[in-house]
Amino acid sequence: MPISNLTALRRRLAVRGLTPAAGIPESRGGRTEEACIRPARLVEDVSLHCRSVGKAESWPEALAFLDGVQRMELVAYAGAAPIYVAGIAAAVRERQGDRLKTVTEDRRRLVIARPRALDAAGDALTGLATLALPEDEPPHPVRDLTQAARALDRARGQLELDVGRRFRLGSDCWLVVDGSLAESPGWAVDIRTIGVSKNHATLPFEGADLERYLRLPLGHRTSIFAPPSRSVAPVHAWALRLWAWEAKDLFHGLVRIEVAPANGVPATADLLSRWLLAERAPISTPDPRWDRLLYGIHSVEQYLRARAGALA
Amino acid sequence: MTAPPLGRVVATELKPSTPHQFHFWTARESPIGIGAIVRVQEAGRTVYGVVTDGFAYSDLVTPMHAVLGADGDPVAAGDEPTARAEIRLFTVAVLRQMPEEPLQPVPLGPVWLADDADVLLALRMDSYTGGERASGVPVGLYAAGGLESPVYLDCDFLLGPEAAHLNITGVSGLATKTSAVEFLLASIFQTFPRHKGSVAALCFNVKGPDLCFLDQPSALSDEDHRLYQRLGLRAEPFADVHYYAPLRPDGVNLNTLRTNEALAGNTEPLIWGLREVLDYAEVVLNRDDIDAKADAFIDFLAERVVGREYQDDMLRGRPFQVQSFADLEEFFRAIFDFMEVLGKGGEVWKTHHLATIRKVRNRLSNISTRSKGLVTDDGAANDLPWGSFADRGVYVVDVAGLDPLAQDLVFARVVSKLREHLERRDLGVEHVVVFVDELNKYAPGDGPETYVRKMLLDLSERGRYLGLVLFSAQQFRSQVQRRVVGNAGTAVYGRMDADELATPGYATLSPATKIKLATLPKGELMVRHPHFTQPIFVKFPRPPVLGGREGIERYPPSGDMPFAAAVARRLRSLDRRVSAEAVFEAIDGRREDDVRRALSATRRERPTDPLPYFVACLGRRVAGEVVLPWRGIPAVRRGEDGYGA
Ligand SMILES: Nc1ncnc2c1ncn2[C@@H]1O[C@H](COP(=O)(O)OP(=O)(O)OP(=O)(O)O)[C@@H](O)[C@H]1O
Ligand SMILES: [Mg+2]
Repeated sequence: MPISNLTALRRRLAVRGLTPAAGIPESRGGRTEEACIRPARLVEDVSLHCRSVGKAESWPEALAFLDGVQRMELVAYAGAAPIYVAGIAAAVRERQGDRLKTVTEDRRRLVIARPRALDAAGDALTGLATLALPEDEPPHPVRDLTQAARALDRARGQLELDVGRRFRLGSDCWLVVDGSLAESPGWAVDIRTIGVSKNHATLPFEGADLERYLRLPLGHRTSIFAPPSRSVAPVHAWALRLWAWEAKDLFHGLVRIEVAPANGVPATADLLSRWLLAERAPISTPDPRWDRLLYGIHSVEQYLRARAGALA
Repeated sequence: MTAPPLGRVVATELKPSTPHQFHFWTARESPIGIGAIVRVQEAGRTVYGVVTDGFAYSDLVTPMHAVLGADGDPVAAGDEPTARAEIRLFTVAVLRQMPEEPLQPVPLGPVWLADDADVLLALRMDSYTGGERASGVPVGLYAAGGLESPVYLDCDFLLGPEAAHLNITGVSGLATKTSAVEFLLASIFQTFPRHKGSVAALCFNVKGPDLCFLDQPSALSDEDHRLYQRLGLRAEPFADVHYYAPLRPDGVNLNTLRTNEALAGNTEPLIWGLREVLDYAEVVLNRDDIDAKADAFIDFLAERVVGREYQDDMLRGRPFQVQSFADLEEFFRAIFDFMEVLGKGGEVWKTHHLATIRKVRNRLSNISTRSKGLVTDDGAANDLPWGSFADRGVYVVDVAGLDPLAQDLVFARVVSKLREHLERRDLGVEHVVVFVDELNKYAPGDGPETYVRKMLLDLSERGRYLGLVLFSAQQFRSQVQRRVVGNAGTAVYGRMDADELATPGYATLSPATKIKLATLPKGELMVRHPHFTQPIFVKFPRPPVLGGREGIERYPPSGDMPFAAAVARRLRSLDRRVSAEAVFEAIDGRREDDVRRALSATRRERPTDPLPYFVACLGRRVAGEVVLPWRGIPAVRRGEDGYGA
C-alpha cells in the first residue's frame, strides 16, 4: 500500500526549509505490542483444561470479516524531528453465498509528527489530517518512529472501530474481527462479534497452565477465561487450536477467541469453536501466518492492499 | 456505448499489452467466449480485438495448499465455506486500432462487447460495405453475448481482382462444407453488385447426390429464416440451374442420381466427341510417357485427320472421315494393315514410328473405354453452353459416377474452356466460380504431378485476373497441395479433426481456438479473409437448396430404365408433349445404335417438334450403311509396345 504522490509533498516541505527524507519504517506490519504475561481469571474451570470442541461445523448464517491495514512513509525532517505520512484503511467483507463482498470500507491519509515539526511544515501539509506526537522529550528520530507507529496503530484501530460500527448499523450478521475485542466497549458487548487474535505477545497464564495452554491439541479449546481488563472493555476468551502444532511450533494454528461475556459459556464456546474450525479452509497461503489467519480476514487485507494500488 | 463495460484490460510486466495482443478480466459470469469481438476505448484510442484464449484461476498458490486445507479429502474441499477469489482472464488478438498510427500498445482501458457498428469497424468492413460501390457479400452472422452482427466478405477479394478463391476444410458430415459453399453461392448471387458485372457458377458434383438439387427449395427452420433475414438474404434456391451428366454405357440413361422424371427438364447429357477429347489428350496421357514423338503424332491426328476428310491412297481408296472413336479405330486399322503388308520395312509411317502410333492408339482406346458414356462414338457432342453462360446461372457437371480418368478429362476440359473463353471475354459472363469438392483427390499434396493438379494450381495462381475463381473443399487441408490452398484468399474452417489441427498449418491458432474448432457445432465456421486480421467465427443458415440426402428421398432416382423407356425420357425432356407410346412405336424393331444416333441428332438440332424429327432421322439412317454396334476399341495386346494399358 504505497502512499501516492509524496514527491510533490517532499518538494513543498523542502521549500519550507525542512530536510526531505524517504524511507519506509521497518515495522510495517500490525500493532506493536510488548511481550508479557497478564494473568487471566478462569471462568469455566478451576484449573486450565483442554476440551475437544467436536467436529467442524459450517457457519450456519452469513458471516462478515473486519480488518484494517496501515502504511507509513518518512517524508522529511524538521531539524531532528521526522515527519511521516501514513495511510490507513479498514473494510468489512461479508460472505454472501460462498463469495466475499466488500460491504463497508474507509480509508484515510494522515501526517504524523511533533506539533512543532507540523508548524514548520506550514501549509505544505494542508488538507491532510494530522496526528501529533508528544513533545515532552526532545526529538529523537528512532524514538519518534516508535511513537509514530503507536499513534498509527491507534488510528488504524479507531478506523476499524468506525467501519465496524457503520457495518453494524446496517447488519446484525456475525462479524469476525481481526484481533482483540477489548479495544471497544461496543464490541465487547456485541453478541454477534468475535475477535480472533493470532498475536500471542500477551499470554494469559504462566507455569503449568501456560504449558497446557501452549500445548493445546488440534480441535480443542482451553477453558474459558477473562483477560484482565487492561483496556476498555471486559471480554471472555479461550484459545483454540486450528492446526496440529506438533512437529511445527507451539503457536502453530493457535488463536485466541474473544467474545462478549454473554457468549462466554461452555456450550457457546464449543459451538463457535466448531464453526471457526470450519473456517480453516480455504487456507490463506501464501501469507506466512496462514495457520492462524482466517481466509476471510486475509481476503479483507488483500482487498485493502489491492485498492491501495499494489498487493503488498 | 451506453452499456457498461464488461471487463478491463490488465497488463503486467509478464503479461504486457502489446500493439497486437492484450489481456482483460471480467466478472465470473460474462458473455465473453472464445471468438468474441471486443472493443477497448481509452483516451482517444479505440482498439478492436478477438478473444483467442481464456484463463481462470484462484488465489491458490499451489495445489498442495488445497489438499492441506481439505485435510486430503476432496469432498471436504467442496465444503469450504468461502470460495477463493478467482479471475476470468482473456487473451485478445488485436483486429484493428483506431487511429492506426502511431501503432501503440493497447491502452489499459475498459472493455466492451462489440455491437454491429463495432464489428463493422473491427473487421474493416466499413471500407467495402457502404456507399455506391459496396462490395460486401454476407458470409454469416458473428454472434456473442446475445449480440449478432452480419459479417461480409469483400467480393473484390473473393472473386477478384484483388484476391480470390475460397477453400473450406473440416471433417465429414459435421463441418457443413458443401452446405456452406451452397449458402455462399446463393449469397453471392443475391448480393454481387451490379457494378462488378455478371457471375455464374460451375459446380462439379463429385459425390453421390450432393449437388443434384440446387434448384429445389429445402425445408428451413424458423431459426434459419431468421438468419436469412438478419443477413438480408432471401432463402431461395437457384433459379437458373443446368445439369450435365454423362450417359451410362448404354448411351441413353444418364449417369447421375438426378434421374427423377420431375427434374428431367434441365438435366442434359454431357457428351463429347473425339475432337473434344483429343484436344485434352495430354490430360489422360500420362505426361511421363508422352514424348515429343507421341505429341507430334497426336498433333497430326488433331490437325490433319480428325473432323476432316483425310485422303491417303496408300491406305485406302476412299477418304477417311474420322469423327468418332470408331472412325479413328478404322483409320488405325488401315495403317496397321498397310504396314503389315510392307513387312520388314514397315517401321515408320509418314515419319511416325509404328511404336509411337501404337502407343497413342492404346492411350486413346483407354480413354474411350474408361469414359464410355461421356465420349460418343458418333461424334455428336452435347456440351456446356460455351459463349452463352447466363448471369447468375449455375452449371452443374455431375462426374460422381465417372471413372477417375474420365473425371480428370472433364475437369481439364471444362476449366480450360472456361479459361479460354474468359480470356477472350466471350463466355457470356465475367466471373465464374468453379466449385471443386474433395479437392484432396484432385490436387493432392503428394503423389505424382498430374495435369489436373497443375491446372488447379494455375487456376489458383492466375484465375483471379480472369474472373475465374476456385471454391474448393476437402476434409484435410494438410493433404492438399500447399500452394493451391495457400492461394485461396478466403479460408473457411468447419468442425476440425484434432489430428489435423496438430499439423503445422494450424500452429498460429491458440489452443483455445483449436478446441473451439474441434468442437464447432454444425452451421458454425471460422473464416479467414484478407480484411480480417484474425480468424472470425460465424454461423450461417442451412443452404436454401435441397441437400443430397433429402433430395434423393423426395426425388428418388428412376434407376436405369429399359432402353425404350430411356429414349422416350430423353425425347420428353426436349418436349413434354412427346408421348412414350409414340416413341415406343417409332423405335420398335430398330437397332439400338440407330436409335442412339437419331436421338443424338435430335438433341443436337433441338427442333421445335422433336418427335417427327427423330422419326425422320431414324428413317433416313436405317437404310444406310450397316454400322456395327459400338464396342469400344479393343486394346492392343499387352506388352506389345511396352505401354500396354
Ligand atoms: N447451417 C447449418 N446449420 C445446421 N446444420 C447444417 C447447416 N448446414 C448444413 N447442416 C447439416 O450438416 C450436415 C452435413 O452437411 P454437409 O454435407 O454440407 O457437410 P460436409 O462437410 O460437406 O460433409 P462431407 O465431408 O461428408 O461432404 C447436413 O446433414 C446438413 O443438414
Ligand atoms: Mg460435402
